[in-house]
Amino acid sequence: MKKFAIKNIKLALVGVALLGFTSACEVTELVPANLIPDSEAFSTGARIESAVLGVYESAQRGFYANAVQRGYPFGAANVEQGDMRGEDMYNDQAFYEITYNNSYSPVSANNVGMWISLYRMINRLNIILENLDVAVTNGVLTTDEGNAYKGEMLFLRALAHHELLIHFARPYSDNPSSLGIPYRTFGIDDVTKVPDGEAVQRGTVSEDYAQLLQDLDAAEGFLPEGGAFRANKGAAIALKSRVKLHMEDWPGVLAEYTKLASKYAITANPATPFRGGTSTDNIFSFVNSAEANPGVNGALPAMYGNPNNGARGLVKISPIIWRADFWDPADTRRSLLTSQSTTGIFTSKYQDAVTYTDPNVILRFAEVVLNAAEANARTGKMMEAVDLLNSVRSRALPASVPMYTVEGLGDGTLQAILNERRIELLAEGRRWPDIHRLSGEGLMSGIPMKATTRSITNISFYQGGVIPMDHSLEYSSHLFVWPIPLTEIQTNISAPIEQNPGY
Amino acid sequence: MKKVLLTFAFAILTLVSVLAQSKPITGRVTSAEEPDGVPGASVVVKGTTIGVITDLDGSYSIQAPADATTLVFSFVGYLSKEMPIGSNSVINVVLDVDVKTLNEVVVVGYGTQERREITGSVASIDASAIENLVAPSFESQLAGRAPGVSVTTPSGILGSAPIIRIRGVNSLTSSASPLFVIDGVPLVNSDRSSVNDANPLANINPADIASFEVLKDGSASAIYGSRAANGVILITTKRGATGKAKVSYSTSMGINEAVDTFDLLTGDQWVTIANEKRTNAGQSELAAPGVNTDWQDLVFRQGFTQQHNLSIAGGSEATKYFFSLGFTDQESPVRPNELSRYSFRGNVDHNISKAVRVGTSMSYSYTEIFGLNNGSNSLSGAIYNSTRSLPNVPIYDEANTAFDGFNVTANGATTGFGNNLAGPDNNIPNIGFVLKNNIYRSRTHRIIGNAYGEVDILDGLTARTQIGVDLTMADDFQSLDARHGDGRSSNGSVFMAANPAFQWNWQNTLNYQTIIAEDHNLNFTAGLEYQFAKFYGFSASGTDISDDYFRRNNLITGSYNNQFSGGGYTERGYDSYFGRFNYSYKGKYLASFTVRNDGISDLAVENQRGTFFGGSVGWRVSDEAFFNSELISDFKVRASYAEVGNTGIDSFAAYGGYSPVLGGAGAGIGYNRIANADLQWETSKKLNFGLDMTLGRITVSADYFKNNIDGIILAAPTAPSLGVPGNSINQNVGQMENTGFELRVASNVISRGKFSWDTDFNISYIKNEVTNLISPLTGTYNRTEVGNPIAQLYGVVWEGVNAANGNPLYRSGDNIVQYNLVRGALGFKQYDPANPSDVSVAASGPTQEYLGNTLPKWQGGWSNNFRFGNFDAEIFTRFSGGNYIMNESLRGLLGQGFSNNQASILTRWTESGQVTDIPKLYSGQDQNMWQNSVSNSRFVEKGDYVRIQNIVLGYTVPVSALQSAFSGAISNARVFAQVQNPFTFTGYSGLDPEANSFSGQLSFGVDSNVAPVIRTYTLGISVGF
Repeated sequence: MKKFAIKNIKLALVGVALLGFTSACEVTELVPANLIPDSEAFSTGARIESAVLGVYESAQRGFYANAVQRGYPFGAANVEQGDMRGEDMYNDQAFYEITYNNSYSPVSANNVGMWISLYRMINRLNIILENLDVAVTNGVLTTDEGNAYKGEMLFLRALAHHELLIHFARPYSDNPSSLGIPYRTFGIDDVTKVPDGEAVQRGTVSEDYAQLLQDLDAAEGFLPEGGAFRANKGAAIALKSRVKLHMEDWPGVLAEYTKLASKYAITANPATPFRGGTSTDNIFSFVNSAEANPGVNGALPAMYGNPNNGARGLVKISPIIWRADFWDPADTRRSLLTSQSTTGIFTSKYQDAVTYTDPNVILRFAEVVLNAAEANARTGKMMEAVDLLNSVRSRALPASVPMYTVEGLGDGTLQAILNERRIELLAEGRRWPDIHRLSGEGLMSGIPMKATTRSITNISFYQGGVIPMDHSLEYSSHLFVWPIPLTEIQTNISAPIEQNPGY
Repeated sequence: MKKVLLTFAFAILTLVSVLAQSKPITGRVTSAEEPDGVPGASVVVKGTTIGVITDLDGSYSIQAPADATTLVFSFVGYLSKEMPIGSNSVINVVLDVDVKTLNEVVVVGYGTQERREITGSVASIDASAIENLVAPSFESQLAGRAPGVSVTTPSGILGSAPIIRIRGVNSLTSSASPLFVIDGVPLVNSDRSSVNDANPLANINPADIASFEVLKDGSASAIYGSRAANGVILITTKRGATGKAKVSYSTSMGINEAVDTFDLLTGDQWVTIANEKRTNAGQSELAAPGVNTDWQDLVFRQGFTQQHNLSIAGGSEATKYFFSLGFTDQESPVRPNELSRYSFRGNVDHNISKAVRVGTSMSYSYTEIFGLNNGSNSLSGAIYNSTRSLPNVPIYDEANTAFDGFNVTANGATTGFGNNLAGPDNNIPNIGFVLKNNIYRSRTHRIIGNAYGEVDILDGLTARTQIGVDLTMADDFQSLDARHGDGRSSNGSVFMAANPAFQWNWQNTLNYQTIIAEDHNLNFTAGLEYQFAKFYGFSASGTDISDDYFRRNNLITGSYNNQFSGGGYTERGYDSYFGRFNYSYKGKYLASFTVRNDGISDLAVENQRGTFFGGSVGWRVSDEAFFNSELISDFKVRASYAEVGNTGIDSFAAYGGYSPVLGGAGAGIGYNRIANADLQWETSKKLNFGLDMTLGRITVSADYFKNNIDGIILAAPTAPSLGVPGNSINQNVGQMENTGFELRVASNVISRGKFSWDTDFNISYIKNEVTNLISPLTGTYNRTEVGNPIAQLYGVVWEGVNAANGNPLYRSGDNIVQYNLVRGALGFKQYDPANPSDVSVAASGPTQEYLGNTLPKWQGGWSNNFRFGNFDAEIFTRFSGGNYIMNESLRGLLGQGFSNNQASILTRWTESGQVTDIPKLYSGQDQNMWQNSVSNSRFVEKGDYVRIQNIVLGYTVPVSALQSAFSGAISNARVFAQVQNPFTFTGYSGLDPEANSFSGQLSFGVDSNVAPVIRTYTLGISVGF
């Protein structure tokens, strides 16, 4: 009897202990330490500012091969891909070879990376755009603050979509009703929005350009003036000048130029826009910092720099442009902005080969000036055209080299302007957009011959002798525009978009 | 177990009958396992009830009747033995272990069960077969030891984790690795190193392990509920037994070498090839004859390996203990990869009273791994680099003291050019310099332990509580030389990280066991379990180092110009309530039912609970009266069904929102994941039919299973243009089925006099099919689509080389196209077999098709143990096949750049009419020639193999010899020689058919510059004191 009682007590004790611990043990209602829920992301002005900075981050450090690396789309990759599709920068290694020798396919990483990272950036900014009005209504932001953010988002949206257009669609200058790219104007932050997103089709190039201008006009209205490291009114205008150039809207190009002419100025020293990024020439750049940059496998100073200065030097200036007779030997852009080794000549626009902090220069006044020069030349205003051209060219030449004159250039004015773009904007990724639009209107026949990949192994190729040439591509080739990534078509369940013909 | 039964044996065998006409016989009962004597063994005069039991040193004394002819010696776990009495007055007997019944009691989740009563599918693996083998971690040695357990050692890098799959791949993007439970405590199986592969299971000393139980079917594993989808491996460590302290020491030492290396061009051969590539492309020649270097010599070595284990086990009636010390140091064949581990274990069990027991299992280990960069495309990746480096260039340049005498260009950008006019492609560094100067070090302190208390409350009712911890204190150090290699671009870098992981687990169980009306055996288990884990860490790094002197051991304040830091935190909680009911009627009709309710913090609060259940029945047909077979002594059929879950999902998988992002413009937040609060558990529905049979000396066990995984938690891909974070949303979409058949046959083939031969064979067939999916999942090499097995190779179809012009041919839709390797006319062209030299018609590129299944369809193992007197031998063979491998290593080695090639490139096309499988060389056309961004049937090969995994030879020193030599100080000793992985029979042309670059389920079967697996030769000795 006694024994039985003891056992009962034991049992009761065990039971009580278990009950007590059970109720004290709450281990499953946890919240993640690194995720702010959607509902709280726009609850304060500081958080909205953070979210906006997140858009810049996605622009500068997008996804490439499922990881944040290599500066897609605008940390560095826009420059590298834009240059490697053209002939003025030379590919020395396997790294950019697929782009350089036109061997991309719907699964090759560079074009897929560009597509993915641009749309990732676009979705981030669209989600913010949808939340700004609510924030203003709720008093989280003032109307002015809300508008300024709207302007920033719209500018970045246009910048991203234009990058898509020049890579994945035929040029406006050929046939504006050809296939465009999906222009995304709403955010997708819920499973239920996926079908609406999938339904957005490619539309036409002209519809896309119309939307670009609509975004940029709105951005111009919303944005205040500001420094080059955040979207600003000048940036929206400069981008419009570029977009209108692609649309062959020459008066439009000039109108945009006129708005900027009094606010910006070309620097006397052509290197200045690349030494800190705050010069009168700098309109808009993406910032790279020691902590956040495209890394050793993407950063421009690593990829483009001279190995003697610690860089990797996978891309050199091509002997094609170096030996071009239109580039004056005395041009200070040959000396101030390049660097030589026994194996070749490298750009020195980007210099920090250790921490990769060079900003990626997106819009410079020099480009707007050359846009305007071209628009003038196209509309018969040769005097204005040549003056603008000289303002860029002759600032880099000694007084002993005479300026261009209308008479001297004669029929060659437009060509001289196009040549000047190749020199002034060398290693800034602008060659491909020019090939794209000029091929569309028939001024070029496609991608010209390039120095054969991995063949320029010595400085001697810059001095004379035969340059091995290869990799030209007719405008008519399906390879002229990049393929839509295979994954895009396969993972859109309800309404896959159309692949570019030939792929 | 044996010792527990001892008491029992004492109780029933105390019948000593002394007859007047009797004869005294004495002697000693021993066995190979217990050379000091087998205590408690029974000695009975055959045909009588006269018997005694042996005392503690195994000796006995019996009075046998004058007419007695035979004595019968028996003991649990041993085969009984009959000895003729004759005129002997001293009869000594050596008992042989009964292999069949050794594992009579099987550890199952939260308890044990008798093997004969089990109705689920549980495979037991005795650790003694593998404990002397040299391996960085125990699980690699489980390969082939049990049916349905697949273990792939994907490379020869020490620290890289084997890929373990139980009954196939049971999830698409959640974890597919089994749950490991050590002495009842679930392990944190998370590699916490950020600089090396640091397999967390390598922290456990294999010599401490007594046995493994693999819970394969749903019923057996259902007690682990939501964690059971991928099977469960229960590890039981060694424990003490009553008796005097038994000291054991074992050691083995030997050599690790690579099973194979790449067959590359010599310097002279390469010069021809390199120049031909360029001249065919209209480029100048760059290569000039120099030396003949095989850069692989810098990478591969014969690594020294050693291990030492010392243990002490023993105890009193009340307290039993096991203590061990272990040390191993293993050098891989790849410089400078090395793993060393120091470990300690103390397992103690104590009976406070008859009804109250407490105990603990505690282990501590310290593991240090020196790794390397072996990225398959990393410029400093050891295999990539050494197979690409120019073979006509010398490794060393003694005058180049700035670079430690290695041949490096003056600016440090790449390897010296030698006589060539250019350096190697991609400016790859001199791998000798890199391996010598760059440091990748991970260290892990690991404490795994538990303490338990057990109370018998009523007769048959036991309450148990157990608290377990698993603490990993991992730290990393990486240091890259500023002069050359990966560190050059940041002027040197140092990195350190501390990444602890801490988990506690608390289990409370009540067990009630009773027998009703003699024949109804009932066993109830009920319990609750809580688990909470924290994963956290921080890192710091510096670049632009002031002096190389400061970067050798640790971050040194002030030695670098740029400082960076980072960190992260995540936690996971888990609670559950479970019950199990086992029923047996006369051991003939068996049933088991399990139910478990689990909650996990990864899912949204409203959906975080799931209920899982399993049940099984068994029928021992051989116990039926009608079953009367001379041949079949035991025959049992079983069936089970269960629904279990998978917790190997992303932390906070159901949550979404904005995560911190640091951009050049500043620290912001970026949209990181779309929330899906509706996310539910993924469920595995597991069906199993099995039978166990004993035919004479042969035991057979066979299982058929079908596992239907439903509501798979998938990072379901979204169209990239939606811009959804990660291009995916976690959703319950997808369904997959694994069906298979397993067979195990074991037998004592011969047991004659001094010679015996035991064999144990197993084979499994598995078929995997994805039965529902939101959209195909496509990776670089693999594609997963409804109706197919997971991760098939997907890519272009090679149609050979056009003999007319050397162009590569590929299939494009229904046509064959050729890539025209002619300067100025490059591009895809139609191929007309009637007119093969016609390249006038442009064509689009190759199209993609399925190229082969990557999961082995069949695999198994076959061990053969031989014993002749004091000699023993084991030959263990493994086999696997029915799968295909994409030999990316070979494709890369047939590259068209200024890098070395595999020797087969010598057969490249050079003249019209030549039939070959290597196209005309053409510099820079890798992508078009080989279609590098997808799989290519040219490089897809069968992965079938038969591997002689181990050959072990041992010699047990006779006790008498030890007696005379050491006067009893050493009680037993065995010397052995082992070779692991001596031969592989395969048609695969790469280094090893197990090579695997990716461990995820969706990309499998790709061999991309994988370090060759290891062959090990060792000599060893184990002694008992």
